[in-house]
Amino acid sequence: MKNLVRIFVLGFFAVSLFTSCARQPSQEMSDTRAAVDAAIKEGADVYAADELKKLNDDLTAALDEIATQDKKFFKKFGTAKEMLAKVKADAEVLKAAIPAKKEAAKNAALTAQQEARAALDEAKALLEKAPKGKGTRADIEAFTADLKGLEDSFPEVQAAIDREDYFGASNTAAMIKEKAAGVSEQVKQAIEKVKGKR
Amino acid sequence: MKTVRIFALAGFIVFVLSCQTPAVPPEVGQAREQENNLWRAGAAVYAKEEYTQYLASLRLAKDKLIKEKAKFGWFRNYKEVEAAFREVLTQGQALLQSVEEEKALKSRTLSEQLEALRERIQRIWKLILTINETQVVRRSLAQAEVAMMESEALLNKEKYAEISRKIEIIQFHLGQAEEAVFSILARYADEAQVETWRRWAMETIDESRKKGTTAILITKLDRTLTVYRAGKVAAVYNIGLGKYGLSDKLYAGDEATPEGRYKVIKKFPQSRFHKALLIDYPNDEDKKEFSQAKKKGLIPPQAGIGGQIEIHGGGEDSLTGGCVAVEDSVMDKLFSEVSIGTPVTIIGSLERVAELLASLK
Repeated sequence: MKNLVRIFVLGFFAVSLFTSCARQPSQEMSDTRAAVDAAIKEGADVYAADELKKLNDDLTAALDEIATQDKKFFKKFGTAKEMLAKVKADAEVLKAAIPAKKEAAKNAALTAQQEARAALDEAKALLEKAPKGKGTRADIEAFTADLKGLEDSFPEVQAAIDREDYFGASNTAAMIKEKAAGVSEQVKQAIEKVKGKR
Repeated sequence: MKTVRIFALAGFIVFVLSCQTPAVPPEVGQAREQENNLWRAGAAVYAKEEYTQYLASLRLAKDKLIKEKAKFGWFRNYKEVEAAFREVLTQGQALLQSVEEEKALKSRTLSEQLEALRERIQRIWKLILTINETQVVRRSLAQAEVAMMESEALLNKEKYAEISRKIEIIQFHLGQAEEAVFSILARYADEAQVETWRRWAMETIDESRKKGTTAILITKLDRTLTVYRAGKVAAVYNIGLGKYGLSDKLYAGDEATPEGRYKVIKKFPQSRFHKALLIDYPNDEDKKEFSQAKKKGLIPPQAGIGGQIEIHGGGEDSLTGGCVAVEDSVMDKLFSEVSIGTPVTIIGSLERVAELLASLK
């Protein structure tokens, strides 16, 4: 009987020793945090805000699990470690995906810039072709001024691209394109008006 | 004894089965979803302080949950946790409403600002279509309009912070456009100047009435040519002027239309612009002004005073180099009704445009 009690006490201490002294996965925690920070540094907050939010939520959940286990007498950090590993892997995937997203945004901005340039050039070419006479001079002068204004706005697109504000650049370029197309339409109408008078 | 053991074992099994680990309250999941909704709604931007407080409350509730979950399953009691999360949910609900209200207010305020700027743009458009002198103004307006379109797109995307910067750009370009319009129209708001024009007009009409002759009055701001017969209005026609037609002609090539009392000195039955009536610009007053301006260095040193100012055909939508253009059909009528020596008085306006300018500033 005495031996049985000794075995129980010894067993209890052994279990306590291996469980209550289990340590927080500090290394995994800092590695995961570093992976999330790296994704942010890459531009996740701009190009993948929703994914970054989920990542942060998952990280918080993992840290909560660690805090829960930390308070337990029999600590088990296995689940927390798995959660951290998943967050870290997701963060690395997200970080790897950012350059492509950034590139796509940049390409979209460059395409929008080219389209705006083309719309401006088309309007200018139409204006060049417009019959210059007494009946059209006023209109031509007016449209030329409109296009000069749009030309003045055009460098804003490049400035936005230079500061990596690709969404802003696309927006500005789209508006210049729309306005230039409007001028082209007015030039065509003015030409038609002159033709009609002849 | 055996029966007692069986009962004890059965009682133990019932105890173990009845002491199941209680489930985490549903409020925990609801709070997670709510926090996501608040983030998506932009709580961190539109109600930063309240959102920080909300997150602190959520953290406290989560800590309570952690504490409870750390307990041995049989001893967990989520009542306090449930209450804490309910409080968080209530706080979050109020915060979400406050965020929505803040966003609605922001959207309304920015919409009103943009609407006011849009009205300013329309006022300037109306003016420049009237005065036909558009180079600087339209250039600035085009830039203001691009920024306006960008702002409208940003408003639809609820990107309010970026709109404020765009509004500054719109205001800058509108300021430039208004300044340009103002500089053109300033003379038209000068009471002494307008009084002089009125006097010229009255003298011309009086002379027509007294002598029973035909006279022409051209009002540049209204873009009209009025034919008087014996002091009475016989006809009113629309006209076209030059790029700087509202300015008073000072020298050759300034594309301005002269102001003063002139007369027809020659009739051209065939002209580049259908038919033409040449007036005696420059008159003595014009020569005096030219000489004074040259002395003051207000005009290029090589510039001459210019001439060949006509009323001609070609269409009222023409842009002249300083002449007055009318439709060919109008020119036909004028040509047959107007004789050499007919007075032609060109004025800026009969009315002051102070109110018009006041609307810009």
